[in-house]
Amino acid sequence: MLALQGLSELSVRLKQLTGRDVIDLNRIMEFVQFLYKQQALSRRGPNYAVDDFGFDPQWTESFLSGFLVLYRDYWRVETTGVENVPASGRALLVSNHAGVLPWDGTMIKTAVFAEHSHPRHVRALVASLFMGMPMLSWFLRRTGQTIGHPDDTRRLLERDELVLVFPEGVRGTGKSFKDRYRLRRFGRGGFVATAIRSGAPIIPVSVVGSEEIYPMIADLAPVARLLGLPYFPITPFWPLLGPLGMIPLPSKWRIQFHAPIHVENNPPEAADDQNLVMALADEVRDIIQQGIYDNLKLRRSVFL
Amino acid sequence: MTPPRPSRVLLIGVSNPLGVEVARRLAPHVDYLFGCDLKDPISALEEMDFVHADTRHAVIGKLIRQLQVDTVVHLAVMVDSPHDQRSIHETDVIGMMNVLTGCSAPSSRVRKLIVKSSQAIYGAGPTDPSFFSEDMTNVERPASSVTRDLLDMEQLASEFALRNESCQVSVLRLGFRVSEDTTLARYLSLPVVPTFAGFDPRLQLLHEDDAADAIVRAVLGAHPGVFNVAADGVVLLSQAIAIMGGRAAPILPPYGRWMARLAMRALTRVEVQAHLADVIAFGSVSDGSRLEAAFGWKPVYSSRAVMDGLARGKDLEVIEAPSPPQEYELQVYLQRRRREARNGHRSVPILEAHK
Repeated sequence: MLALQGLSELSVRLKQLTGRDVIDLNRIMEFVQFLYKQQALSRRGPNYAVDDFGFDPQWTESFLSGFLVLYRDYWRVETTGVENVPASGRALLVSNHAGVLPWDGTMIKTAVFAEHSHPRHVRALVASLFMGMPMLSWFLRRTGQTIGHPDDTRRLLERDELVLVFPEGVRGTGKSFKDRYRLRRFGRGGFVATAIRSGAPIIPVSVVGSEEIYPMIADLAPVARLLGLPYFPITPFWPLLGPLGMIPLPSKWRIQFHAPIHVENNPPEAADDQNLVMALADEVRDIIQQGIYDNLKLRRSVFL
Repeated sequence: MTPPRPSRVLLIGVSNPLGVEVARRLAPHVDYLFGCDLKDPISALEEMDFVHADTRHAVIGKLIRQLQVDTVVHLAVMVDSPHDQRSIHETDVIGMMNVLTGCSAPSSRVRKLIVKSSQAIYGAGPTDPSFFSEDMTNVERPASSVTRDLLDMEQLASEFALRNESCQVSVLRLGFRVSEDTTLARYLSLPVVPTFAGFDPRLQLLHEDDAADAIVRAVLGAHPGVFNVAADGVVLLSQAIAIMGGRAAPILPPYGRWMARLAMRALTRVEVQAHLADVIAFGSVSDGSRLEAAFGWKPVYSSRAVMDGLARGKDLEVIEAPSPPQEYELQVYLQRRRREARNGHRSVPILEAHK
């Protein structure tokens, strides 16, 4: 406590001397809060509840400060249109997917939780492959993710959750740097059918910046096959620099939430109409692609 | 269709605690209750006529015909058992076949068949959806032997149901239970619990009372079909271990299941079966909404409550302590004396009495 008082006095003095915030007290308070949250977590023992999917909100929120540092200071994410995300009720967020590791998912989650007037947890759907990996499966489940299975999507939407889906899947994250900002095929439109059946609006999301965090030059397919991975990326720094090569580059990010597409106005039987489903999937894809171009224009350069 | 009220009920596999509990709850609702098993029941029940019979032999069919039962409750299905693969297969699959042969004989009066199955039928894997509904039995996966046996067994039951429309078949897939002496309970009760490194699966646990209740409701109601009997909510494995006051030791390698099982047996003397090892790694949660819709009832205890109950040691108190064989004989003798005294005459053998 004393240290905090001293620090705040020092901060005020420095502000008087230099005329600007040298020590940002808000940031320090956030850090203190983070420590308190971790302490509270370690004290609660087994007295907590997870939802049926294994999501532990308290545990997830304790990491938020960490992701906020990445969000504000590292990638300087500029988010627009977050008001398009409903404050309550179900919705399906559909986003482009890029950047070898799914950092774009964490940033969309952080954006909705930090910027929205009603902070909500976004539940992302991940490839089944990751659910078989040690550590990762545990972390993903506990922070609210679940497996990309139509049945899971339906159940989450029926519980009025915000669900985030990447229809490109590993085709998106595993594309090489020269294909950046070109959307891959959007699956078979399964996400549209699920949204219609569950009566959830679709909110397209365009993410710019995730493409540059790991510029993937090549894909060592044989190594990937050996390790059971969908791709094995070669970037200028990985695997050359070892673990250092796993640090993502500090590109400048923009996230845009588009106006919702009200597919829930269709009758549930429309989900079986493959023509309509594919048309809607294409519409969503076009909005996201257009959003990417718009945001690329708004961004001054890759790193600024 | 209004259910024909069960009048003559045969409980197969009545000697385990679940069987005894079902018999006890069923006794006031039916006219005649028969029970059979290999061993003596852990406690005697006055209203039940007990006979030793082995489902692995065709004699069980004769028994069903001779007793002229209208309802068969097949509980002699081994899932969590220390027996070897072979005898589990014999009991589950061949036993089911013999029971069905008895039920489908031309002279058979069986109108209702209740089969105990298990959530273990789904197996557990990383690519599974978060909830198993009844149609998600995954036959393509290389399954553990118990899973395969259960699949075979249910296949037999559903074929029987198709061929014999006059007989209602209800299959109840009971969730994993941690009371009595189940492997899962012994595993979770270890002071230091070896877990798979990097995995913390969701567990769904069913209370013994709910399991017995579901079976009794299936017997007394008319609910043909397959049903998951699943508790509300989940607990994480680490949470369950913490509730039991133990410590999780994430030391088992995530790959190479048989190695992990060997290590577990060497370290803890708890033999974790292959299907259970998968559950401990990936978790298995099933969806009980079909049961709720059909029965108008769902398990009372949540997974968390079951775990808390186990921790308090309440569930460790067996319905009645297992008694040595002489004591069972004594109980039966005393019951017969009481019955005779009440009826005022010697009780006649059951087969003649109900002709």
